[in-house]
Amino acid sequence: MKRVLIHSSRVALALLFLWMLTGNCLGAVDYDQLFRQSSDLMAQGDLDGALKLLAQVPPPSAGEDGGVFVSSRMQIARIYASQDANVKALNACREVLKLFPDNSEARNFTAALEMLQKPRWHTVLSDILRFLPALGRGALMTLLLVLCTMLVSPLGGLLIALGRISTFRPISWLCWFVIWFFRGTPLLLQLFFIYYGLPAFGITLPPLTAAVIGLGLNYSAYLGEIIRGAIQSIEHGQMEAAKAIGMTYNQAMRRVIIPQTYKRLMPPVGNEFIALIKDTALVSTIAMVELMRSADQLFNTYFNITALVLAAAIYLLLTSIFTFVFEKIEYRAGIYELR
Amino acid sequence: MNSVREPLLRLEGITKRFGTLTAVDRLDLSVYPGEKLVIIGPSGSGKSTLLRSINLLEEIEEGSISFEGRQVGYVTRHGRRHLDRLPAICALRAEIGMVFQHFHLFPHMTVLGNVMEGPLTVQKKPAEEARRIAVDMLAKVGLSDKRDVFPATLSGGQKQRVAIARALAMSPKLMLFDEPTSALDPELVGEVFDTIHTLADEGMTMIIVTHHMGFARELADRVVFMESGRFLTQGTPREFFGAGQDNERIRSFLNRLL
Repeated sequence: MKRVLIHSSRVALALLFLWMLTGNCLGAVDYDQLFRQSSDLMAQGDLDGALKLLAQVPPPSAGEDGGVFVSSRMQIARIYASQDANVKALNACREVLKLFPDNSEARNFTAALEMLQKPRWHTVLSDILRFLPALGRGALMTLLLVLCTMLVSPLGGLLIALGRISTFRPISWLCWFVIWFFRGTPLLLQLFFIYYGLPAFGITLPPLTAAVIGLGLNYSAYLGEIIRGAIQSIEHGQMEAAKAIGMTYNQAMRRVIIPQTYKRLMPPVGNEFIALIKDTALVSTIAMVELMRSADQLFNTYFNITALVLAAAIYLLLTSIFTFVFEKIEYRAGIYELR
Repeated sequence: MNSVREPLLRLEGITKRFGTLTAVDRLDLSVYPGEKLVIIGPSGSGKSTLLRSINLLEEIEEGSISFEGRQVGYVTRHGRRHLDRLPAICALRAEIGMVFQHFHLFPHMTVLGNVMEGPLTVQKKPAEEARRIAVDMLAKVGLSDKRDVFPATLSGGQKQRVAIARALAMSPKLMLFDEPTSALDPELVGEVFDTIHTLADEGMTMIIVTHHMGFARELADRVVFMESGRFLTQGTPREFFGAGQDNERIRSFLNRLL
């Protein structure tokens, strides 16, 4: 009897050992094989089969690490997501999160799926709200640059125009040279020279100053030619009539000729200022954060084209306002011509 | 002519060339205070150039101009003739009114603004006084009701009357009229002639270039016929337009016009 007992306990131990051995061994082999099989089924296009296999993996009992379970459920989620079955994919993720709330893979996947579930405009709107403050600051800087240049360049342009039509040759030549140089070289190169080149001659300028000087000189040259054209387009008799009542050249220019150029100046000058709004984008290359640079930074941070589209919209808004204002000014400036 | 009195304007040997063309050829001319001189002649004969030379809108190559007995317009420096300094030239122009064929009103100023401009900017009178002068001058040319409109709304005859008022506002001692009615529709010529006539009756000294022979005959103390930069003949209207005119060239010119 005692022998039987001993024997049977040995057998039980052996069986237990065998069970444990085969059981553990079997389990590991099984899961490995299971994942391999499911991959094969997916490759063959049998997604249902793969899903069925993966669903066999049970939730881990207490003490187990659950890695296999997580892998299986995430694989299920990916298969459903690939078929646009987002709700089923979400359910698979939630199974994981119920047991492992901190699992980052499941959380990220859930967030991505939830994003897809929401309507598209909601995403765009939240992007816009996120980008608008930075773009707004950039737009303000762009506007500041434009206004500074609009203040400087008409004065510079008028001086250049008057110099060009001066009968005093050296001044006429100097103004011709200024126009020739600043119209004939790229604005970008001029900005580089002023900001990066001048320090070599001991002149270091802050970015804003350098930008306004560069834009101001460039636009003075363009406006100079426009203003000269407008002055010379005023009928010669106007100058003669002004002289005939005893005006000096300067008085005639100031009182008679130049006021008549305003209406003719508005369309081409409006053109130039609209070009200016867009040309300010070039100063992003000399360490200025204006609208273009802000959009570029946002795009490179979030890889989101909403930032670029938004910047385009702000540029369009600015140019639209300028177009509107210039049309009004042109009308006002030419009101004396109405019959 | 009253040759005892000093002439207001005296031109001596003035010559103006445009390249190879001699527009005004060694002309002598004296205009006495209160005199109305009418210059006629075919187009291109140098009439306008002569007028423009008088108030220095054209720079002459030779000759001298005297105004009220003073040499004006040119100075000799380093043996070369130059235009005088700007203030002297402007001062002369301020005393000589000029009316152009095409009016040349300042389109960006109101009618009143046009007439005020000389007293205000050139004579530096206070705005109130300039305005009073302008109002008077506009009343004189009969355009008081047009004070505040822009020239674009006026007819040609009204524009020319405003131009006359603009010149008169400077209280000129001599008025130059360069074909004042040539750009006008025929029915508008009369109002401008009437205005000039009123001015003549007030004793204004004036030189008028015109193609209207009737007007010349009626207004002129003396008529000058100009051709190729020279005076062909001059005389009273009676002598000039009368049957006694024996110059064949002038006879044919007048026949074509009358």
